[in-house]
Amino acid sequence: MTSMEMAGFPILTAILMSTVLGLFSILLIPPERTKLVKQVSMFWATVGLILTLWLYFNFDHNKGGLQFVERVLWVKSLGIYWFHGVDGINMPMLLLTAVVLFTGVWTMWELEYRAKEFFALMFLLVAGVYGMFLSMDLFWMFVWYDVSLFPMYPLISIWGGTRKEYGAMKLTLYLLAGSALILPAIIYAWVQGGAVTFDLFELQRIGFSLYDQKILFVMLYLGFGILAAVWPFHTWSPVGHVAAPTAVSMIHAGVLMKLGAYGILRIGMTLCPQGLGYWSDLMALLACIGIVYGALVGLAQTDLKYVIGYSSVSHMGIVGLGLATMTVSGINGAVFQMFAHGVMTALFFSSVGYIYDKTHTKVIPELGGMSKTMPIASAFFIIAALAGIGVPLMASFWAELLVFIAAVQVFPVGGIFALVGLIISALFMLRVVQRTFYGEKNEKFAHLPDVSPFLAVPRIILIGVILFFGFFPKVMLDVIQSAVIPFVGSF
Amino acid sequence: MDAIFKDPVLLATVIGTSLPFLSMAVILCLTRHNPMLSSRISVTAIVVAAICALFNLAKVASASHAFRFDTAWMSSGNIHLTFGYYLDPLSALMLTIVAVVACLVQIYSLGYMSGDPGYSRYYAFMSLFAWAMMNMVIASTLIQLFIFWELVGLASYMLIGFYYEKFSASQAGKKAFVMTRVGDVGFFLGIIILTLGFGNLGIPDLNSAPGTGTLTTGFITMAAMLIFCGVVGKSAQFPLITWLPDAMEGPTPVSALLHSATMVAAGVYVFSRIFPFFAASPDAMLVALAIGTVTMLLASTMAMTTYDLKQVWAYSTVSQLGMMVMSLAAGGYFAGVFHLTTHAGFKALLFLCSGIFIHEFHTNDMRVIGKQGGRRQIIPMICITVGALALSGVPPFSGFFSKEAILAALNAQASPIWLFAGLFGAFLTAYYSFRLIFYLLFPKGGIEEKHAVHEMDSHGHKEEHHGGLFWAMAVPVMILACVTVVLGFTEHSLQGYIMAGGGAVKHASTQAAAGGEAHGGVVGHQLLVILGISAGLLGIILAWFEFGRKGASRNGFLSYFPPVWKLFDARWYMDAFFRWFLDTAIYSGLTNIFTRNDRRIIDGGIDGICFFTEAGGRIFSFMQSGMLQYNLLIMVLVAGLAMLFCLV
Repeated sequence: MTSMEMAGFPILTAILMSTVLGLFSILLIPPERTKLVKQVSMFWATVGLILTLWLYFNFDHNKGGLQFVERVLWVKSLGIYWFHGVDGINMPMLLLTAVVLFTGVWTMWELEYRAKEFFALMFLLVAGVYGMFLSMDLFWMFVWYDVSLFPMYPLISIWGGTRKEYGAMKLTLYLLAGSALILPAIIYAWVQGGAVTFDLFELQRIGFSLYDQKILFVMLYLGFGILAAVWPFHTWSPVGHVAAPTAVSMIHAGVLMKLGAYGILRIGMTLCPQGLGYWSDLMALLACIGIVYGALVGLAQTDLKYVIGYSSVSHMGIVGLGLATMTVSGINGAVFQMFAHGVMTALFFSSVGYIYDKTHTKVIPELGGMSKTMPIASAFFIIAALAGIGVPLMASFWAELLVFIAAVQVFPVGGIFALVGLIISALFMLRVVQRTFYGEKNEKFAHLPDVSPFLAVPRIILIGVILFFGFFPKVMLDVIQSAVIPFVGSF
Repeated sequence: MDAIFKDPVLLATVIGTSLPFLSMAVILCLTRHNPMLSSRISVTAIVVAAICALFNLAKVASASHAFRFDTAWMSSGNIHLTFGYYLDPLSALMLTIVAVVACLVQIYSLGYMSGDPGYSRYYAFMSLFAWAMMNMVIASTLIQLFIFWELVGLASYMLIGFYYEKFSASQAGKKAFVMTRVGDVGFFLGIIILTLGFGNLGIPDLNSAPGTGTLTTGFITMAAMLIFCGVVGKSAQFPLITWLPDAMEGPTPVSALLHSATMVAAGVYVFSRIFPFFAASPDAMLVALAIGTVTMLLASTMAMTTYDLKQVWAYSTVSQLGMMVMSLAAGGYFAGVFHLTTHAGFKALLFLCSGIFIHEFHTNDMRVIGKQGGRRQIIPMICITVGALALSGVPPFSGFFSKEAILAALNAQASPIWLFAGLFGAFLTAYYSFRLIFYLLFPKGGIEEKHAVHEMDSHGHKEEHHGGLFWAMAVPVMILACVTVVLGFTEHSLQGYIMAGGGAVKHASTQAAAGGEAHGGVVGHQLLVILGISAGLLGIILAWFEFGRKGASRNGFLSYFPPVWKLFDARWYMDAFFRWFLDTAIYSGLTNIFTRNDRRIIDGGIDGICFFTEAGGRIFSFMQSGMLQYNLLIMVLVAGLAMLFCLV
């Protein structure tokens, strides 16, 4: 690869810039003009979505490999590159980010309190997410990764709900602890690679000794694993979800947690395949515990957002299990699950957000009978719950199917143990649905309006995505596979 | 795509099985606020589907081969999943049963559900069910079958909890979903194992697999037993029985369609669908035979103590499903499928008749209905008696023929115990069915005239104003009653049709029954017929003696044994056991421990670290006082200590 590679219009930089420009244009608007702030946010989110969709339809999954590559040398002495590209692994993640940002901005349409700062921080966060997904250079990956973490603190502590300062502080400290493992790992890799390049693929070509791989992988796994809510480093995640405002929960659980799993896959597994081989039993063990543990603790929760938070722990365990198998189906399933879970949780938080906005409570025993009061808002939540249970013809079913096939093949005991989690997750989701939405009409909330058609649109988009990829998993899997098959072949 | 339009069978299949889905989508998205239109859309869709199914049945019967159409759906690595249709005699028959019963039940519901606030929602979920069930029946691969199997379960959950404002209804829906999920996880694991060990989930391919010798018997046994877990869950076999009686919380037409005629028979259908695969494992067949027998006997005993009309039929459904499983497991392939067919007819009939009583008297209690003049409802009373006669195996009703066929299959087993169990089950079935009939016909203390007159008035009143609605309910019932009378006589043509294409099936069923063929059965053929009829008649006579005749005590012999009565009434304490298990092991066990672990140990640890860091900072901050004398003092002290250290 030469130092300069540009094929026509730099679409990937354009996607990244859509959020950066969004951020700056929001900053230019006077704070009292909240309507304009939202319109501008919506505009830039739409631009990002259109560019990403264009990218998705023009991505050639028959060709595979890294496409739309942009590679410019940035700092010669350190070997840092402005290096972007898409393949089957980050393509679904980009689509997920674009969809969740778009629907998240729309969901927050009724926000009035310090709207300018809110949307500015949200765009900063998403800029970091896009950057992390797009970059193929370790230095930039780390920079974007941290860019995406910091806005969480103000977003939660200013606009948040239950125990917001505690939640924000806990989340930030946890994630920084993760960063503190990732940064030395990246520097270690850079040094061991000859201190000449941060380019991920050049480092992969150089290769590391088994000893280095073992150390590197476990550092990267734990560092990124904290963000992916790997058991037992998961407790920040439900607390953070509960404290965060709706759109932030959507982006946080929908996209940000995927950064962790993506980091393990993209950096950890690319650079240290043998390191993964060494640690895969541990990884599978933690994942299986996470699946069952998350579901069991979810059974005891009385706060709607806590329930979703623990279901995320359980579902992210499925991602970890898929990655640990090191097989085509397992990794296919894991990436698909990252996408499916992202859309599903976004829908979860989006519908809980509406109910919370109106009733000012998300405590399950205080709700009850919501189907009578808000039939449409309830339907959204119930659909998300069904997706969470893994009902067929919803996207997550296929992901779980693939992961469990691979898991039973590679870790028979762990795989069967994790399957038990499916029963418990059905129990706890239906329990929540029953207590929150079924039962006699709750007179306290009888006067509250149901979702307006305008606010229903973002939720319907999310449902549409879940069902589309549930009916036609091939559309997504062909893309994912184009990267995973050569990837697994390189182990 | 072209292939679909060239082949009329495929075209009919696609149209018939997709229309209900469209109907559901249209109702949910567009016509939710227009109940009349919703019901019309749904009924139209299911009528077209039924016509298509009948057309397919005729086509399959006249053709000498099965119709198959496959298309690649998804591939990942070396896993390739296909979707498609596989229409052979069995699936065409089942498709017809499902479509026709669904059609009749939806027409019946026009009357039964009229005026319900959830009318549109009801028809949307009924359409969802029809779509999922029909697609499950014609699925060409096991994974496709599983997908729609789960969706059928979803429809069942939604319809059981239809009156979701009632706690017991939403509870029953949840129970049904979770309990069947327990079985489904086994099924899922079976599919995973087959994917890994065999790699081809096509149903005909699976059926021919044992013959080729590529699979070991141990592997087949394991896969078959795991798939049988799914059958246990869906068909409410032991030990997952109790969700089905609870499922009666749903509207009565739902119970008729889902929880007796079609959905719960899905388990038995899957068993017969991959029968040759099962039959290749004698161990799996033996386990299935034992589970079917236990289920049949347990459920029959439970039915003897309840006074709830629908509960009786629910238990009887469980026991008849157990009987079908017994039959298949004993190698009686045709007998099992035939009983499934006749059972779908007469059990739907029984439920729909009960629905008319419940609609009229607003109670499920057979004693109250009898007292208030249930027998004056001429049409449902005659029809329910027809259904009960068929259920008890009295000739010439359809149940007689299929039950005889099953007994013949059991007779061919080496051990006589299965035949005796079957006969005893038939006796109990007749007893509890006619216990119910006699409660309706001859209530204790006669009909209360005051109520009866009142009821007559209101009935007449109703017929004036809701004449159309009454007939919407009565006509499907009468059609089903006619079917019940006629269906039995088609045994031979049906047998020829079902066994026509199935070389593998025929081989497997003779192989499975081989044990008993050698010694020519436990009893002779004529004797078996006599035994079968007399088991049923004996039950009816006992019921007459206790509940029917003048001066009968109307308590039943079980009331003389209170502990036994209590045992049967409490469903052999199965529910109590599950509740106990859930409460102690899950809620106050693991969940509790793990939640504490999260709060106390993990969070506590982290908070502790934070606390000590902060506290440490506070302590050390005293050193940063900025006071010169203090700093000097420390310096001198440290220097002095260092000197002392060097000197010593």
